[in-house]
Amino acid sequence: MLGVVISLALVTCASATSQKDRANPNAAAIAEFMKRVEEYVALHKKLESTIPSLPKEASPQQIDQHQRALGRLIEQARASAKRGDIFAPAMERIARKLLSDIFRGPGGAQMKREVFEEYGQRNIVPTVNGRYPDEVPLSTVPPGVLAGLPKLPEALEYRFVGTNLILLDPHAHIIADFIARAIP
Amino acid sequence: MRLRRLSPWAPVCALIALVCCAGADAAGPAIVVAGEPPGAPKDAAVAPAQEIQLPNKANSLKFAVIGDNGNGEQRQYDVAKQMAAWRARFAYELVLMMGDNIYGSERPQDFVQKFEEPYKPLLDAGVKFYASLGNHDAREQRYYKYYNMDGKLYYSFKAPKEDVRFFALESTYPEPQQIEWFRKELEGSNEKWKICFWHHPLYSSARTHGSETRLRATLEPLLIKNNVSLVLNGHDHVYERIKPQNGIAYFVVGSSGQLREGDLRKGSPLTAKGLDTDNAFMLMEIDGDDLTFVAIDRQGKVFDSGVIKRREPPK
Repeated sequence: MLGVVISLALVTCASATSQKDRANPNAAAIAEFMKRVEEYVALHKKLESTIPSLPKEASPQQIDQHQRALGRLIEQARASAKRGDIFAPAMERIARKLLSDIFRGPGGAQMKREVFEEYGQRNIVPTVNGRYPDEVPLSTVPPGVLAGLPKLPEALEYRFVGTNLILLDPHAHIIADFIARAIP
Repeated sequence: MRLRRLSPWAPVCALIALVCCAGADAAGPAIVVAGEPPGAPKDAAVAPAQEIQLPNKANSLKFAVIGDNGNGEQRQYDVAKQMAAWRARFAYELVLMMGDNIYGSERPQDFVQKFEEPYKPLLDAGVKFYASLGNHDAREQRYYKYYNMDGKLYYSFKAPKEDVRFFALESTYPEPQQIEWFRKELEGSNEKWKICFWHHPLYSSARTHGSETRLRATLEPLLIKNNVSLVLNGHDHVYERIKPQNGIAYFVVGSSGQLREGDLRKGSPLTAKGLDTDNAFMLMEIDGDDLTFVAIDRQGKVFDSGVIKRREPPK
């Protein structure tokens, strides 16, 4: 597991030279993933700039309205978005391998318990552009998972909904993409 | 929560308190002698020698600590009720929140049910809450007016009394940018007391999560180097006073709503005092170089207390 984590971290940080691509077979897939992430974030920022900013001392209603307004704009702009648009197949394979190594490795059972600790007996299937399910507490994401996956800009974060790994847009509270049944 | 007249054993007890808790890795409660707060009832009973109380001085900094509180369940309301009852006698003006402020859905009505309603007496009295975010908290909470985060995931602020600065971190995603901010903020702080709080504990004897050793490797050198005296965390749903580590006092206060009964490892070498059978919150008072603390359960009973001496800068 440690090997995978280190190798992914190195890939993320290294410049994408062809020599390094040969040394790190995941480099191209991660670079493509980050390109898609950046495209999403650019769209997010463009749309967010069209609605009033949240005040620094907002009411819960203002926070909720802001989330939903941004969520609607993103949903409209990505009306044809589907699963895998950001997590392309190559990146999905890398993420699945990482999660398999982590959750099947030492301490994996404990980490799984932590991820599921507030999830209960629900069986929720996420949807792209869908609002993060209100009834599901935000999950823990183990530090090993965060260290292994490419670092995201502030407008996106990794979370789990059940066994599904999602890309959550925390400003809009919507799911930008997900990998189904990612936790083994 | 009865307030007591000063015992004739006061000087002796005060001396014992300092010896017990200052710097030494002492297990067991320190003994603190109660002062008589303004407005204390004249018929208050004389404190027994072992009675543990807050000094409750007129111009000291008084604050409360809660963590993992926002589940909207009866236990949270019970703790909140005790917090309000204690405030009638010990007028704290701040509450530090260790994260997991709102569990589950975060719709407007959830902010009411899981925060505004239970703490209404405190909010109405003008008590200011300062939140850090837990792993179950949406980042948008930073904009919530009652959390006083100024739209920031991590921030610091100077206390309204005494020479104290608080530092709140976001420990779910401890990005290098935040760590660098923290380093600069600590180095730039000239306050005598530096008190830090965030969600994930660097030290914990709970079975469910335990010590966050990865985070510890990053943060602890900064805490030591920059003369931090006290670190407050949550995440594990227990109360635990950690034996001082490298001269720094650590508390886990993660049971102000949630509770994971029996989760503390018995006989852990880290534990100075723990409670995993009931919910808890803390009250603290800083007066000069001393910080007096009490930990209080859901029935309003003090089950732990002591005095922490602030760390001196290295000479």
